Amino acid sequence: MRAYIAFTKKEWVESIRTYRLFILLAVFFVLGIMNPLTAKLTPTLLANFAPEGMVVEIPTPTALDSWIQFHKNVPQMGLFVLVIMFSGAMTGEYNKGTFVNMVTKGLKRRTIIFAKFTMSVLLWTMSLLLCFGLSSYYTAYYWNLDGFTQILQSVICVWLFGILLLSMLLFFGAVVRNGYACMMFTGGMVVIFFLLNMLPSLQKYNPVYLVGSCQSLITGELVMSDFTASIIISIVFVVLSIVGSVLCFDRKKL
Amino acid sequence: MYLATGFEVIKENLPIILPILVVELILLITALTHVLRHHTYRFGNKIMWVLIVVFLQIIGPVIYFAIGRGDE
Repeated sequence: MRAYIAFTKKEWVESIRTYRLFILLAVFFVLGIMNPLTAKLTPTLLANFAPEGMVVEIPTPTALDSWIQFHKNVPQMGLFVLVIMFSGAMTGEYNKGTFVNMVTKGLKRRTIIFAKFTMSVLLWTMSLLLCFGLSSYYTAYYWNLDGFTQILQSVICVWLFGILLLSMLLFFGAVVRNGYACMMFTGGMVVIFFLLNMLPSLQKYNPVYLVGSCQSLITGELVMSDFTASIIISIVFVVLSIVGSVLCFDRKKL
Repeated sequence: MYLATGFEVIKENLPIILPILVVELILLITALTHVLRHHTYRFGNKIMWVLIVVFLQIIGPVIYFAIGRGDE
């Protein structure tokens, strides 16, 4: 346990020194503010760019538009940055050879995996909270926060999908030695999920359902129980990835 | 329908635009100082990274810190 806490602290210091924490917070800060702002300004921009004399019927933006922006920007830009920032978490240390000392001094290999996973989930949670907090604040500033429970549920879906990505990054980080390969494999898994999403009968069980359909929670088309299957599948995937990374990392030459 | 000019739109939404500008500026300055003070990059050269960091809003500094920054 002491080793786990020490290694987690080391991960924390590392994320500060490699600017990981700073970049994630900055990007999610900007995203959080951009969501309500884009929703608010789109009609004005459209009206200004429309040709002279053309009558454009533009509906007044609502709080819903702001959350649609949230569910468009965070899964795309946000998760993309998250994957880029964490793709080198394991492989960077193979290249620098920094695992060798600690493992030969008796640090259990699985402790490394657990500590890395804890810290990546912690950073992701912090970033998403910041983004969600700012979006909520400015959405309330321009409109209102009606249906906050549903909004919160939809954000939890996005959060779970982020954790799934982080656990897959960790697994591929334990398998391959190259940061780019790790990123590509994780991206490949996401592509496979998206391809499987084309089969309507499988959609409900697909983890992509969590980010693809969660705005229907806010519009009221779906309820949380519709997501039970994909949530369970995602959690199973997370657990499998972690167990897989421990097993692969135990056999890995450092 | 009332058409606001660009300046009025910015003035009206200043409380929300200002924080974005500040954070973008902080990102830019942090990345730029790092590019100028370190001389090793994983690929590319100093001029290339300065251009990327300065002209690609937000994405530039992210790319630099994620894949461009060399190891000390």
